Amino acid sequence: MDSNLAAGLAMGLGAIGPGIGLGIAVSKAMEALGRNPEASGAIFVPYILGIALAEAIGIYALVVSLLLIFVAA
Amino acid sequence: MPEEEGGSLIHVAIEAETLFKIGPLSFTNSMVGALLASVLLLLAAWYITRRSALVPGRLQSALELPVELMTGIVAGSSSRWRGYVALILGFFLMILVANWIGLLPGVGTIGVAHVDPETGHEAMIPLVRPASADLNFTLGLAMVSFVMFVYWGIKANGAGGYVKELMGEPLYMAPLMLPINLISELSRLISLSMRLFGNVFAGEVLLATMIALAPILVPAVFLGLEALFGFVQALVFALLAMTYIGTAIAEHHTGGDHAADEGHASDHSTAAEAAAT
Repeated sequence: MDSNLAAGLAMGLGAIGPGIGLGIAVSKAMEALGRNPEASGAIFVPYILGIALAEAIGIYALVVSLLLIFVAA
Repeated sequence: MPEEEGGSLIHVAIEAETLFKIGPLSFTNSMVGALLASVLLLLAAWYITRRSALVPGRLQSALELPVELMTGIVAGSSSRWRGYVALILGFFLMILVANWIGLLPGVGTIGVAHVDPETGHEAMIPLVRPASADLNFTLGLAMVSFVMFVYWGIKANGAGGYVKELMGEPLYMAPLMLPINLISELSRLISLSMRLFGNVFAGEVLLATMIALAPILVPAVFLGLEALFGFVQALVFALLAMTYIGTAIAEHHTGGDHAADEGHASDHSTAAEAAAT
């Protein structure tokens, strides 16, 4: 029971940072796209890489909570 | 544990379940998923090479689309893209098919009965599990890409150059920088494999939860979402592997190589636009 609570907390708190980061990344990419639609090809790959790296932090939280549920229980 | 209060509606197992054993080796349901993905890819490759027309029909266009998209992106990454384009394409197609197999009807719902010998609980083992929802599969792919970007780094800069790269720029900082760089190299392995596994596994859990909560209409929305995520994750894995190899090659290069990259960037953007329309 304790570890289930810990898992929920780990995921919930761990999702805050990546959520903010992803929001910033997407908003900047859309801004850039709005200013210069021709640059979509040049923006695409770095954009995908950036959101993948930001998202990785959330995935670490997911891994920790999965460990808490399936291994520590 | 949650299983006792009717939680059996949601079937979640973090490890792939064993279907049968051959001696000491166990054959798991994620292996079925991986084999299925390979067979589908081989069939598509066989079909497209057998009867490829100069003016492609509908099916041929659909099969060529992901290959062209990915080749366009890899071609814009470095001037020496021909050396690793096959590897990146292989990653992309394999992960894409392996992810999307999890969305097919019957996957995860058709299974064999299994009675736990210890507790006597009766459970169902799904016959097919999407391969990328198994950490063994994603870690295997990450290890292949790790070996490849170390190999390309050594090939481009020599073994001495590679070690020098790890030790950092001012040589007296090496005792500090060497462990940091080694850990950051190894963390790529973990983050590559965990990202793919975490996303696909979380997607499976999300779908199972939604089907248990609201079986009608609602899961369709999440199926669409998962189809998108499956594509994005395949793209992310392939792009990260490509970037790691690209940076391993491009180290210590100046001027000329960069100019070549600029030239490629323009035709890459046209390829991406063509794919987007």
